[in-house]
Amino acid sequence: MAALPRRIIKETQRLMQEPVPGISAVPDDSNARYFHVIVTGPEDSPFEGGLFKLELFLPEDYPMSAPKVRFITKIYHPNIDRLGRICLDILKDKWSPALQIRTVLLSIQALLSAPNPDDPLANDVAELWKVNESEAIRNAKEWTRRYAMDN
Amino acid sequence: MLRYILSFLRIIATKMLQLLSSRKHLIENVLRIYIKTTSGSTLSIEIDPKYDIKQIKNLVASKIGAQPEELKIIFAGKELGDNIIIEECDLGQQSILHAVKIKRNVPTDQSSSKMKPLCEILDDEMFSSNITNSRSNSFSTDNEVINISNSVMLENSTIRSKKIHFYVYCPTCKDLKQGKLRVRCHFCKSGAFTVHADPQNWIHVLEPKQITGTCENNPELCKDILQNKEPTFAEFYFKCSEHISLGETDQAVPLDLIRPNLKQIQCMACLDTSDTIFAFPCPDDHVMCLDCFKQYCLTKLTERQFWQHPEYGYTLACPTGCPDSFIKEIHHFRLLDDENYNRYHHFAAEEFVLQSNGLLCPQPGCGMGILAEPECTRISCQNCKYVFCRHCRQGFHIGECDVVENNDTAGQNFSCESDMNYNNGNSGELASRTTIKIMTKPCPSCKTPTERDGGCMHMICTRAGCKFHWCWVCQTEWTTECMGDHWFG
Repeated sequence: MAALPRRIIKETQRLMQEPVPGISAVPDDSNARYFHVIVTGPEDSPFEGGLFKLELFLPEDYPMSAPKVRFITKIYHPNIDRLGRICLDILKDKWSPALQIRTVLLSIQALLSAPNPDDPLANDVAELWKVNESEAIRNAKEWTRRYAMDN
Repeated sequence: MLRYILSFLRIIATKMLQLLSSRKHLIENVLRIYIKTTSGSTLSIEIDPKYDIKQIKNLVASKIGAQPEELKIIFAGKELGDNIIIEECDLGQQSILHAVKIKRNVPTDQSSSKMKPLCEILDDEMFSSNITNSRSNSFSTDNEVINISNSVMLENSTIRSKKIHFYVYCPTCKDLKQGKLRVRCHFCKSGAFTVHADPQNWIHVLEPKQITGTCENNPELCKDILQNKEPTFAEFYFKCSEHISLGETDQAVPLDLIRPNLKQIQCMACLDTSDTIFAFPCPDDHVMCLDCFKQYCLTKLTERQFWQHPEYGYTLACPTGCPDSFIKEIHHFRLLDDENYNRYHHFAAEEFVLQSNGLLCPQPGCGMGILAEPECTRISCQNCKYVFCRHCRQGFHIGECDVVENNDTAGQNFSCESDMNYNNGNSGELASRTTIKIMTKPCPSCKTPTERDGGCMHMICTRAGCKFHWCWVCQTEWTTECMGDHWFG
């Protein structure tokens, strides 16, 4: 395997030294391009109190290509589908090499605070979020309690 | 007697050695340059770089039968003052100076800065800020940018030479090189030309008719161009500073976005701070080091994400999405290696054909660009003689196109009986064609074969010039019905 680019080393060091509040990202012991991520559910959101596991992978041509990120913990969110895939423009066509792991994870945390049912990935969730927001939020809280707490 | 002869020989040998070594010393310091006179003759002279212009004038005057005081020496748009030392002038071997005879002996009222060579006057910081593309910006903004860079320069002025660095793509060396700025008359192309003002930024250098000047070659003709009473203008061009000049036509393309990193900005991709950077034409100082810029081009090329810009050609913009940040000088992509630069040309040609509503021959290994009448459905490739249907890109047929089922086994569902060429293809071509057919579906808009490697059914055409949103199931435009019925299949 090719040597790890200095950019990845620098980013990893900074993530360790100055972690983003509410986010932890630790590189895997055997693969420095694979990160174990935990995002805490933002306050005043249905995900508050939950700890959400994600996986983040830096592809070979990172930072020219976006990191690949996926929720491992089940989450009831209109922009995250049942496989944990995230609908976020900066992970697709709005990616720029000036963005970093830290900015990506901050954007994901912000997405938890502000779900966008008009640009959904999980259609049933989005539908409910639009038609009956209070029930959707109740579901989201229930899923958070069931899947993102304790363990 | 023998001893006498021996010592005599030794003396001769030492003298010869001395002579040889001193001559060698001389040769190392000789600069061979050409002097062009207004009479049209060219003198070849050998000079010491330590000579001043006064000495050059004496040399030239004796050769052309004039008085040294009658001569002006012009180089790169500047009349050089008598005290200028050749070394200061950024001259290379076989450079050309222009000697002009002054007709009336009027004392010129040129300021001292005008008598200095161009390269001594231009500062790096003038050309390092991103003011080239912001012509609409107010003047104050421009000044601000310059002031910032000046203050940074103050700190570094002791270590950093202020001599300007230009970068060019040299077609002779076939590489990125440092360049030298040169000036000639816009009208008659003569180098016997002096500028009325120094260029202050890249706009002055790259855009035509920015700086006026006086043509010494043909003052009567060039004074008021074609009776329009318009003074003649300076035309700036560049030479490679790393090979011996091959004459006046030996030019290099200025790569104006490659600059010395005076402001010590980090590369947005690798976060290193390198001496030479690629500065995207956006106001926010987004820069990459040259290695990352090459990688960026290569990634975007492979993903077919270059844009066919109506004015600039097949190009890229600032990766952070800054508006109007397309790279204007497409020779910057010469930084790609030869193989990928050829690919760049190939893709650019294909994109041009597609944007002109043309087609690419679908036959594997052909891909010929074809511009046909819009109503013509029977398309015949001039290159490989394949005849195909405009709509389904299969061999030409009469009647409706068959819908090709994605999961079919190889070659079952061909729509056409008259496809003679298909069976003529060799087995490799046949195999690729079969694979493409099984694995892909065409974009409903531009027919680009598209593979779906996971995710939902919402497809966005990967071709930067198309970007059509379509449904993998319906093979039509993506709609809310698709989202409701079969978003995930």
